[in-house]
Amino acid sequence: MSMQVRDLIKAVRGCKTAQKIREVITRESALIRNSFRKEDKINRPRNIYKLIYIHMLGFPSEFGQLECLKLIANPSYIGKRIGYLGLSILVTENQEVLFMSTNIIRNDLSSEDRYVVGLALAALGNIGSPEMLRDLAPEIEKLMESESSYLKKKATLVAIRTIRLVPESVDRFIGKVRTLIGEKNHGVVLTGLQLVLSIVKTEPETIVKFRKLVPGLVRMLKSLVNAGYSSEYDFRGTADPFLQYNILRLLRYLGEGSKKSSKLMADILTQVGTSGGISKNVEIAILYEAVSTILSIESDSKLRVTAINTLSRFLSGRHNNSKYVALNTLLKAVNTEPKSLKRHRKVIVECLKDKDISIRRRALDLVFGIMDKKNVESLTQELLDCLPKAEKEFRYDITAKICTAIEKFSPNDKWQIDTLIKVLTIGGQYIRDDVSSMMTSVIGRNPDLQYYTSKKLFNILLDDRYRNQTFLQVSSWVIGEYGDILMQKSEKDGELINTTQALDLFQILLESSRTTDETKYYILTALIKFSTRIEGYDELIKKIIKPYREHVNVELQQRACEFFLLFDYNEIRDPILDRMPIFVEKEIELEIEEEVSENINKGENNDIQKNTQIIQNQINVNQNIQTVQNTQNTGINELLMLNTETKKTQPQNKQDSLNFLQEIFSGSGSRSNNNNNNMNNNNNNNNNKTGGQGLGLDLGLGLGLGLGMNNQSQRQNQMQTQRQTQQNQMQNQRQTQQNQRQINQNQNQNKNQNQSQNKSQNQNQNQQKVQNQPFVVYEKNGIKIEMNFKVGNIRGTPAVMSIIKTTNISSIPISNYLLQVAVPKTLKAQLSQPSGQTIPPNGNGLVNQQLQIIKLVQQKTQLSILLRVTYVINGQKIVENKEVSNIPIFF
Amino acid sequence: MIKFILIVNKLGQTRLAQYYTTGLSINQRVALENEITRRCLSRKDKECSFLEFRDLKVIYRRYASLFFLVGVDEEENELGILEFIHCLVETLDRYFENVCELDLMFNIDKAYMILDEMALNGNIIETNKKTVIAPLHIIDQVSKKLK
Repeated sequence: MSMQVRDLIKAVRGCKTAQKIREVITRESALIRNSFRKEDKINRPRNIYKLIYIHMLGFPSEFGQLECLKLIANPSYIGKRIGYLGLSILVTENQEVLFMSTNIIRNDLSSEDRYVVGLALAALGNIGSPEMLRDLAPEIEKLMESESSYLKKKATLVAIRTIRLVPESVDRFIGKVRTLIGEKNHGVVLTGLQLVLSIVKTEPETIVKFRKLVPGLVRMLKSLVNAGYSSEYDFRGTADPFLQYNILRLLRYLGEGSKKSSKLMADILTQVGTSGGISKNVEIAILYEAVSTILSIESDSKLRVTAINTLSRFLSGRHNNSKYVALNTLLKAVNTEPKSLKRHRKVIVECLKDKDISIRRRALDLVFGIMDKKNVESLTQELLDCLPKAEKEFRYDITAKICTAIEKFSPNDKWQIDTLIKVLTIGGQYIRDDVSSMMTSVIGRNPDLQYYTSKKLFNILLDDRYRNQTFLQVSSWVIGEYGDILMQKSEKDGELINTTQALDLFQILLESSRTTDETKYYILTALIKFSTRIEGYDELIKKIIKPYREHVNVELQQRACEFFLLFDYNEIRDPILDRMPIFVEKEIELEIEEEVSENINKGENNDIQKNTQIIQNQINVNQNIQTVQNTQNTGINELLMLNTETKKTQPQNKQDSLNFLQEIFSGSGSRSNNNNNNMNNNNNNNNNKTGGQGLGLDLGLGLGLGLGMNNQSQRQNQMQTQRQTQQNQMQNQRQTQQNQRQINQNQNQNKNQNQSQNKSQNQNQNQQKVQNQPFVVYEKNGIKIEMNFKVGNIRGTPAVMSIIKTTNISSIPISNYLLQVAVPKTLKAQLSQPSGQTIPPNGNGLVNQQLQIIKLVQQKTQLSILLRVTYVINGQKIVENKEVSNIPIFF
Repeated sequence: MIKFILIVNKLGQTRLAQYYTTGLSINQRVALENEITRRCLSRKDKECSFLEFRDLKVIYRRYASLFFLVGVDEEENELGILEFIHCLVETLDRYFENVCELDLMFNIDKAYMILDEMALNGNIIETNKKTVIAPLHIIDQVSKKLK
């Protein structure tokens, strides 16, 4: 025999472990099932009651769904009550049961007993499926006109659900609005207002019609505001706040875009928006709604300023809740009311120090929102001030915002460097990766600041409080790169900085167990650079580097070996470790042309060394050009992408890079390392061709370095080549180092890249979990574009993330590949830069792109995309549009 | 629009759950409740009563050992919902006379009924305590007579 409900609850409460609870529930569920099977009518309500409890605990209860129906069909009210309760709680998705219940509900809707009707309406309102609601719409409509306000308000809410789930039924209910709103009963008016709101949201064209309601609504609000005490709907001195704020919300919808309606409400809004106190939650709730309405409708500027002032009053108040809503509302107004917002800078900044993370986060967004060229320095300082106390995850947010602020508003480079150093030292390891790349590029383009920066970094480096990895990496790069400037100038200035000190420091850092291997790469590179910048320390540097030739980390070992070897080739060491070219972000194209012509002039000397330099320059040019082609994003990311690209494409086919080089050098296209070696032997005396061959080698070696241990055969090739001739060896070495250096150089970026790769890998994994098969959206001329979709959300907005993969299975290479995407106005799409523009034939490579689609409206939307594919095949340019609307994704 | 209303004790056990959105399986529901409750419980008194969860805003308020949590969409007035929670508590209090966790546990049907009278389909219907409780008193009288 099963237990009483009371006993079951007691039994569960008595359980000490989750396992015990499970046992009790399983036993009881079995008993209930048995009882259901026996058609035990007497115990049925009790069993359903127990199932409700079991369901709440998170255990399966589906087997009780049909029993609920039996209870509903029962004429007794007590049985019906439990049955309906069970129905609305236990039956969530089971369409069949819902469908079966339709007729019983229909009967109950026409019952004499209004409480039975009430039960049926409540169930419909909570779980009614579109089909049920469509079927029962006439009954609901009739009940909305019922005499009892008890039924009227419930029927109205069912109508709202009907509109939400069956939008085409909206016309049926439009006519009912006026009488509902005209009622005396607050409950009915409240539901009437919500009905209008839902109609307006589903069918925006109806707004014009409903504007006629504005005077009535204003009057209603006025009487509520001015009403004295009424016991029925009094909430701590405020008359029915729910009605008040729903009127205000409806006014917002009706006033938007209509000057006339906005004018009609201006008076009452001024009264509500200014007179209320801000000590009680109720008052603030109404003020908040009024202010949102003022800011959304076409109010005059004076009213808007008052609204902003009211919000600022919230911010300086004691209540965290009001601070939160105020910040949220101000954020929405940041674009429309920037001036009046800036006046409240102080209060907003104050919120950055709040104890509550939600508030601080909002405040951070807002501080960033009001930032401009004038106040960037002081606001950034404020952000930096709250950095040390911030939690880890919040530090990422702050540093990210500071970086963006610097990018957008930086007044001068010195300030930028100072700020970045502060971020690096205070932010510790919780900073966005591009801080370091930003730093290197800004120092590179400012020779005047190189001494200043390196000195500053060096002094901070001496203090071991700030030795976080990112800071160590950046500072060792800077000190290595500009070591000569640092030492010379500090000697002049009488600063107490000398080379031995620097080397000692590097050695200490290298030996420290807190230094990661990655940071050690940077330090080793800094050391080898030092050897070329400052004379007379070779032996000491060698001594420091030496032990790392046997380091357990392969990368570190390789670097140490190569650097160590480099000491034997003094004549090439200097140019290899020469200062990095200035990184120019936007004007790259022009400069490339100049550089090319300059290099070609130089190339007239029949000197191998110089020639190699040209090649190297050309490589740079080549990279730059690719970079330009790739993207117009921040410079570092460009290099980054390039890196991946070269690594990816080279193993299969070096065509990509070589094509371009062939054009420049008109050398024969060497496609493999063996060929390269042959060419090395054959064309030793031909300077022009040495150029071509040097390049081939370079690429080969770059590959070797890039792929580390995986590419042994190529490494052997390198070795062979090295042995062939002295000249070749030198060249080879040099190229190795050039590549090495580029890799070192790009380490900030590499790190960046690794992380982003990791991220995208993670994303991929997630996607595989969530998503079904990839979706082929385009297939023609051997080109196949596949997309896979993942529904999620970005910063609270529903979004679809997609990875687009393009492959080429034809035997002809595809070049100038470009994919563009358009979406309906209700969506917003963001397409990342492609991983390349050329796709090698025979499926040997692919182009990756990421697409993010954010939804701008509330309604559920099916995803549809318009694609434009542009590419060149066989020298023929092809442009094609393709609409993809059959994607099975709703969000 | 209200998406769900939860009443949870300070151990994180659900005492009442009403969802106004469909499409959540039992497991998803349990996971959602666990996560929200965990985050709510970890918040300090001085922090604001709102937290963002997926695409929802959760508004919570603590009454003795019970947490009342309401999940709403972007548009809802957070402070208004706080007031609604208070109104709900006052109504429960009036009906149960000093409501406590046990009242809810042993009279879950009544608690649901009160809630249904006050909110339906994610909208607020009635905030007058007397009107809300009236039908419950009638039921109580009828059941007394039957006994």
